[in-house]
Amino acid sequence: MENNAKAPAIEARGLTRTFKGGIEAVRGVDLEVSEGEVFGFLGPNGAGKSTTVRMLCTLLPPTAGSAWVAGHDVVADGDTVRHDIGVALQEIGLDPVQTGRELLELQCGLYGITGNAGRERAQELLELVGLTDAADRRTKTYSGGMKRRLDLASALVHQPKVLFLDEPTTGLDPASRLTVWEEVRSINSTGTTIFLTTQYLEEADELCDRLAIIDNGEIVAAGTPESLKAEIGKDVVSVELHGADAERTQQVIGDLPGLDRVIAERDALALFVENGAASIAEIVRRLDAADVEVGAISVSRPSLDDVFLEATGRRLEGADSGHEDEGAEQDEAAAKAVAS
Amino acid sequence: MTEVLLLGRRAVREIFRYPEATIPVLFIPLFFLAVNIGQVSPTFPSTTDFLKGQGYVAFQLPVSLMFAVATATSGLALVTEIDSGYFDKLLVAPIRRTSLILGRLTADLVRGIAGSAIVLLVGIVIFGAHVESGPAGAVLVVLLAALFGVAYAGFGILVALTTRNVQATNTSFLLFFPLLFLTPNFVPFDRLSPAMETLARINPVSYVIVGIRSLIIDGWVVDKILVCLAVILAMGVILTGLSLRAIANYDR
Repeated sequence: MENNAKAPAIEARGLTRTFKGGIEAVRGVDLEVSEGEVFGFLGPNGAGKSTTVRMLCTLLPPTAGSAWVAGHDVVADGDTVRHDIGVALQEIGLDPVQTGRELLELQCGLYGITGNAGRERAQELLELVGLTDAADRRTKTYSGGMKRRLDLASALVHQPKVLFLDEPTTGLDPASRLTVWEEVRSINSTGTTIFLTTQYLEEADELCDRLAIIDNGEIVAAGTPESLKAEIGKDVVSVELHGADAERTQQVIGDLPGLDRVIAERDALALFVENGAASIAEIVRRLDAADVEVGAISVSRPSLDDVFLEATGRRLEGADSGHEDEGAEQDEAAAKAVAS
Repeated sequence: MTEVLLLGRRAVREIFRYPEATIPVLFIPLFFLAVNIGQVSPTFPSTTDFLKGQGYVAFQLPVSLMFAVATATSGLALVTEIDSGYFDKLLVAPIRRTSLILGRLTADLVRGIAGSAIVLLVGIVIFGAHVESGPAGAVLVVLLAALFGVAYAGFGILVALTTRNVQATNTSFLLFFPLLFLTPNFVPFDRLSPAMETLARINPVSYVIVGIRSLIIDGWVVDKILVCLAVILAMGVILTGLSLRAIANYDR
């Protein structure tokens, strides 16, 4: 891989990370992100998202496979990669002792932007993320949203070619989340490639040109949000069981015409059928005839959650892969922050 | 070099922003100085041969200086940074990893100079010590103590990088007590029990204390000063070297 105009912004081949004790956090990830794209990495807590980001950012060496960012090998040419990337990790890395302005000026200095140029760039970024009023306060006094915005600004000091955002909105209130989305769009509009991990379906749908779904360290589906949903090609009929026997219910509607697949969820069945609306009457008729009482029945076009369900057999929302990797603890901590 | 200065400036800024972390570091050596002088000086009046006409404060000052400069502050700051995630942010910047350590050590030098200067001044002004080697000797006393602090800081940094645990880094400071007390801290080598003398003679910190003490009590005794400097340099090379290796291999 040589640095040339045609090189993808990010490329990974068989990227693998096994931690001590044989825990396989990332297992042979292949991906290619084109220049200027917003690429999403969607998956539940502990799926291997953070570990992948850490490898692509040169923070963690892969145990197998290779990756190139901005045309440079992340292992052999880490120094060059670090010049070309900006990183906002899931755990917001801010120094509580410094003020927002000092932190940005130091960050500028570390990228060789010193003196007046550094001061000007810091001011520019403070304005970009709307922190001019709080600029001279220590960061420990900032709210969660302000910290996230400052962290984002600090990843931008050197106008990186590729920006990594690891769960940029986890722990944020809805309003701050929208602000971050706007900032991501505006950064991307200047040509910066963005690699974004998220556990939020809506975020992936809203922001990403393309995305990969990761579960248990492996990519289980990839494409544009539209193509992934279209690939399912079916409507999704959800039958809430409300205590009805799942097996019996499945038996009754198992040979429904146009039925492609049934996935049993905790207290519901997801039916992937060709014509959802038309199937509902038949489903109700059959359940009635068999004297099976269920809750609500609804039909929808496939969502990314259905894509995830089809690929993994589980819903993403509220899902936890149970697979522990180094990022898992962080993921869990962040999830707790959201819950509280 | 710019990055070391930038990181050093930030670490020094930390000292001023967290005075509550620095004040105890100064209180303890001054407290021990007062207590030890109060308890021991009646036993060793200024007529005692090894005091050469000075008060016992002259003998105790180097021990207090060691106390003032040997801290786990840098290690603690580093492990806190690892904990908060800021360390990752610094690691992902296009700088040499060694700058992160050298920046911290810059702050240790500043803290060491300020801390030892204060302790020495208190020793002179309040307790009446006199530096036999004169003003230049006093400056050297401060510098040697500060350099010892820089060398010793490598230990806390090493613990921080290898354990990544705040408690472990914090308690690592306790290891300094045996190092400080298995020395001729109260009396010279030849007045120690044979077992203590053996232990004190193999403890490198003894030679740092002896060297600094010679500047205060004896004047310019070149061989003692050189041995003191050599021990500090050796400690610095070993501990800083190990820290630099630890940061180079961090997560690799």
